[in-house]
Amino acid sequence: MPLEDDLTTAAANGDTARVESLLQTGAQVNGLNRFGRTAVQVMMMGSSSVAQVLLKHGADPNVADPRTGSTPLHDAARTGFLDTVRLLVEYTADPEATDNTNCRPVDVAKDNGHADVVAFLESL
Amino acid sequence: MAHATSIQYEPVAEIGGGAYGTVYKARDTESGQFVALKSVRVQTDQNGLPVSTVREVALLRRLEQFDHPNVVRLMDVCATKRSDQETKVTLVFEHVDQDLKTYLERAPAPGLSPERIKDLMKQLLCGLAFLHTNRVMHRDLKPENILVTSQGQVKLADFGLARIYSCHMALTPVVVTLWYRPPEVLLQSSYATPVDIWSTGCIFAEMFRRKPLFCGDSEVDQLGKIFDVVGLPPEEEWPTDVTLSRKNFPPLLPRPITDVVPEINGQGAQLLQKMLTFDPLKRISALNALEHPYFQDEETLTQTKS
Ligand SMILES: Nc1ncnc2c1ncn2[C@@H]1O[C@H](COP(=O)(O)OP(=O)(O)OP(=O)(O)O)[C@@H](O)[C@H]1O
Ligand SMILES: [Mg+2]
Repeated sequence: MPLEDDLTTAAANGDTARVESLLQTGAQVNGLNRFGRTAVQVMMMGSSSVAQVLLKHGADPNVADPRTGSTPLHDAARTGFLDTVRLLVEYTADPEATDNTNCRPVDVAKDNGHADVVAFLESL
Repeated sequence: MAHATSIQYEPVAEIGGGAYGTVYKARDTESGQFVALKSVRVQTDQNGLPVSTVREVALLRRLEQFDHPNVVRLMDVCATKRSDQETKVTLVFEHVDQDLKTYLERAPAPGLSPERIKDLMKQLLCGLAFLHTNRVMHRDLKPENILVTSQGQVKLADFGLARIYSCHMALTPVVVTLWYRPPEVLLQSSYATPVDIWSTGCIFAEMFRRKPLFCGDSEVDQLGKIFDVVGLPPEEEWPTDVTLSRKNFPPLLPRPITDVVPEINGQGAQLLQKMLTFDPLKRISALNALEHPYFQDEETLTQTKS
């Protein structure tokens, strides 16, 4: 399995230590796995420590899902993890990005009843 | 069973792989949400899927009708014929983007508050009581299989597939953690729903300790670590159908559970002890655990307040 597949698996499992060591071993932070996704696109959204490590290593937070147009910020907003939402924004994720249904992250957060995330995104 | 998995659900990463198949994080392109796909390859004959698989899937679907808040939703089941001998059965579950392991690691020092722990435990036991009432045992409870939503709702994942998997398990040895295994499983004696209560006890302790309770690196080592705390059980409680003899272990006395979980309160310690009981027949059940005074005092407190 190429390093990028390992990296996305570790990111999706919220395994911060493994993400770190794979990046040290030479896994490309923006490399695509065999499904055509990067680590920040598939990471466990509730793991702000994985998000932090990936973003620190230069993960691009503005890659959209090729099928739905959802960005990591859409997904963090949909699942309601405010810490991760904040981090993504801090690392220049675009809060105005729209997915294929023309929704912005704040719209997705609203649809899913995450008032804290809505308040934060509206305050930007 | 529907057929068009590959169209509606697009895998984005592999999140688990056992002897029986693979688990993927996937995108439901219709709703835009993530889902968890678990596929199992099942041997078929001229009658189609084996009766055991059909029954197990039917049971999972029946459970789904109850819409229990503390188990992940089963959203879809798909069967894809691979060949005359093999069919791939894919279960589509709701995906929750945080597990208890991450949740515990995230909690700032000194860890979760006692109230938060009590609430998590209550939800965990509610989910288990529901499964056990429907005669489903989880068998592999551990922090990675307990999911926590951003709203703090606990949802059990990875349950009820034991029988679908079991026929495939023997094929490839997989490394599985021993830390949450009860003595009867480590001893390869017969077992039932009390296994999950033991695992829950280990997890209960871990919520306070912020590190696992018993970290053995082999079956015998794991048992040794358990007896270090709960003491060597009396001869009459040692299962008779096992090869490992009680004489292999030093005659240790039980230690107070608060030696290893100093932060727990009195009621909690008492409940924990009932969960970490060697004899599965004497171990507390999920329903009885929910009735334990550890959970009652909160309610009586709020009742007297209002
Ligand atoms: N519905 C779900 N939502 C989110 N994550 C999930 C879900 N189901 C499983 N997972 C995650 O994927 C990981 C692997 O899944 P699962 O436990 O089903 O696979 P496994 O191969 O049986 O692994 P293990 O033997 O370690 O339990 C789990 O540890 C869990 O964190
Ligand atoms: Mg499992």
